[in-house]
Amino acid sequence: MVSSSGRVDRPWFAWAFWIISALAIGAVVFFVQAGAGGERITVARLSVIDTVGYQPPPEASLRAVGGKLVTLPHAPKPDFAPVADPSPQRIATRVTWYALTVPPLPDDGRQLYLYIPRWKSDGSLAIYADGRLVSQSHANLQWNGSNQPIWLALPHAAGSHPPRTLDIRLQHVRGIGGAFSSVWIGNFRQLAPRYYVRDFFQVSLPAFSVTAFLATGVFSLFVWLSRRKEPIYVLFFLTSLICFLRMLHTFVGERPLLVSDAWFGWITINSAYWLGAALHLFGIQLHRGSQPILTRVLLINTGLWTIATLPGLLDPTLLAAPIYVNLLLLGSVTAFNFVRLSIKARSRFALWLAVWYLVALVFAVYDVGLQQNLVNIESVFLTNFTGVGLTLLCWYIMFSRYIEALETATQAKADLARRLAQREAELTASHARLREIEHRELLHQERQRLMQDMHDGLGSTLVTALRAFEGDRAADLDAVGILRGCIDDLKLTIDSMEPVETDLVLLLATLRFRLQPRLEAAGVKLVWEAGEAPPLEWLDQRHALHILRILQEAFANILKHAGAREITVSVRAEEGQVVVRVQDDGRGFDPAAASRGRGLANQRNRAEAIGGAILWEPSYCGSRLALILPVKKPSAAASHERSGA
Amino acid sequence: MSGLSQDMMTPTLARSEAPFATTVSSGDGESGMSFEAASETPLKVALVEDDAAFQEAFRTALAGAPDLAMVGVAATAAEARAMLAEPAVDVLVVDLGLPDGSGIEVIGEAHARWPGCAIMVATTFADERHVISSIEAGASGYLLKDSPLPTIAQDIRVLHAGGSPISPRIARQVLMRFRPDEKPAEQVETAERPGVPSLSEREKETLQLITRGFSFEEIAELMGVSRNTVLTFVRRIYAKLEVRSKTEAVFEARAYGLL
Repeated sequence: MVSSSGRVDRPWFAWAFWIISALAIGAVVFFVQAGAGGERITVARLSVIDTVGYQPPPEASLRAVGGKLVTLPHAPKPDFAPVADPSPQRIATRVTWYALTVPPLPDDGRQLYLYIPRWKSDGSLAIYADGRLVSQSHANLQWNGSNQPIWLALPHAAGSHPPRTLDIRLQHVRGIGGAFSSVWIGNFRQLAPRYYVRDFFQVSLPAFSVTAFLATGVFSLFVWLSRRKEPIYVLFFLTSLICFLRMLHTFVGERPLLVSDAWFGWITINSAYWLGAALHLFGIQLHRGSQPILTRVLLINTGLWTIATLPGLLDPTLLAAPIYVNLLLLGSVTAFNFVRLSIKARSRFALWLAVWYLVALVFAVYDVGLQQNLVNIESVFLTNFTGVGLTLLCWYIMFSRYIEALETATQAKADLARRLAQREAELTASHARLREIEHRELLHQERQRLMQDMHDGLGSTLVTALRAFEGDRAADLDAVGILRGCIDDLKLTIDSMEPVETDLVLLLATLRFRLQPRLEAAGVKLVWEAGEAPPLEWLDQRHALHILRILQEAFANILKHAGAREITVSVRAEEGQVVVRVQDDGRGFDPAAASRGRGLANQRNRAEAIGGAILWEPSYCGSRLALILPVKKPSAAASHERSGA
Repeated sequence: MSGLSQDMMTPTLARSEAPFATTVSSGDGESGMSFEAASETPLKVALVEDDAAFQEAFRTALAGAPDLAMVGVAATAAEARAMLAEPAVDVLVVDLGLPDGSGIEVIGEAHARWPGCAIMVATTFADERHVISSIEAGASGYLLKDSPLPTIAQDIRVLHAGGSPISPRIARQVLMRFRPDEKPAEQVETAERPGVPSLSEREKETLQLITRGFSFEEIAELMGVSRNTVLTFVRRIYAKLEVRSKTEAVFEARAYGLL
């Protein structure tokens, strides 16, 4: 949830904004309070009557003449752990009467109000003006919203306005409660500022903040639902939920609760334990540590209290004090552990959270004091404000994380784009390099091929002719024939450069097209039996030239030696092979004869180079050459043999 | 080395039989097309060629043929254009590699100015790229520069009489140009485009047989038609090739907003 590398370039004006805002709120509160007025009653006569169970308040107050003179706010010292019968009918109770004398107020006809900052008692409250009952509590006995200041409009009846006396009746569990703050009386303009400011800080602010915190927790829950492997989100939700439950008693209770006092007390008191446990687990997640022993102790303690205070067992409301002390001890251990861990983890957020925890602990000590009537009961429960702090802190953590995530995403995107561009450039470069190499290789192969071909054919013929001319033996030469042969050679070379796209028959047709004039000139008839041939996938330029040269040689041999009248060329597909046959009706020859050895060897070599074979098949007359070509690609080894020769 | 070089092809021998697929045999009496018809007025032949040696050979070839008359020679594209301003000749032979321009342009202009003139491109290797470009520009045949001199004269006569040579590779190339599935995305569009000719089944069959190496005579026999019909097919195919290339050019110009 928190990164240890927070942003350090925090703009100073953000701090300035917060400080100025806080000062402004303080100033507003100060000025509102300064305009307040009203009469504050701080003296009362106190009389106490022990009772059993709860009775409804009488119609009229029992104006006891005697009674002890006390100063308000007044708080009797409560028992630390009162033992009481849980049944409301048999519980040991006490009625505490506070009799107040109202100072003389001018009767200007305006509505008068009572403003009571706090009454602090489990039990019931009744208020009498001039001896007559004007208000009584009507909600639960224990969780009765006593944290909320009382704002009471005095009945505006003739003869009793403004009242001369006020009586307060509190009926409460013997040993606890029965405390009462000073009482303010005055008109709206005088009392409203006091009431609203107190109500805001004591009730509304904690209520708002804890609700907002819960909303954040729900958001976190949804995050967890889509990221189940990160329990910190669900822990955050649980923390916020428990916090909400814990704070409920500060702003509900004025009206009857939906659950019984027993259950509400169980929830309210135990939620402090639950909060401690949840915070501890949350902290562990935050620090990415694990503390099995402390975790176990905390959970066992929490579990024990949770079970022990179930309704019907111990009454958590009555036992709140010892429970809170126990909680304080555990809280201290957890808080200091939290600080230690966050320092160890070097996490700024965790440290802040730990500091918050410590502050909350101090506040809690104060609040226990308030709960035990050790401090002025008119003061405020401070832990209520730690909820505000926690909410703000968590918001800040979420805000930072969100901003961080956005920055990371932006950075990652930029990073990705950069890496992509880099990779693309690399690819382009490598592609260009490869293409160049390929191109060079292709040129090299083509040059090799043509050189090889010309070395065997055109070149040697021209050199032979040249030597003959030099030696004055030109007359013996058929110069025109030689040149025509050279041109034919050249034409076949050029033909071999054009792609034939695996079409052997087209290649043979090209050969016929080139040789036909020579054959006709020699008076030889050509019978063309070009059957179907499957596409030869391996038939590229190099292979094409080999095939052309093999057959050219065959024709040349026939014309030169065989004395044939007719040549038959046939193409046939036979079991994965294509066979080209050249049959003549001439004299025939022995392939082993030495005289034509070189030409035949050449044909054999070429056939092998393209992965084919050449055969001289027996024939009843003349000779029959068969060029056998594979349909599938010949092995690489065979095709490289020749090009490397 | 090819032993063929020893077997000289003498001019007298080559005279009687036409080379495969390059000319129409003059001895084919049944064809009904006699190219040796004794014509009182010899065919007027002009040459566009910068190579003096071939000019000389060409002159010699025509000098030996009384039915052919050499009426003009241009060594450059500019001279050729000047020549085109004059009255039309019967046969024009154009070399592609001119010093001041492309022979293809000369062919195009000649085809426009002299519609009745049979144009040949002079080539050593009959490579399909040059030949097809020439045909698209308006030529109807080609002349192999290394042919024996009487063959040259004979080729000119045959061309003038309606016979066009075609090599297997050229046939293959033409087939590919007309293949409808060449650009599947534009197929519908092409079909809707008026003026773009397509090959008939017979013409396609002819081309396919040529790519498989059969001669005109063999094709005629295989298809059960006369040799002349085969020649007609080829000439028509060439004409379609030319029309197609022009229509394509117009269509493309429209597509690019030039027209």
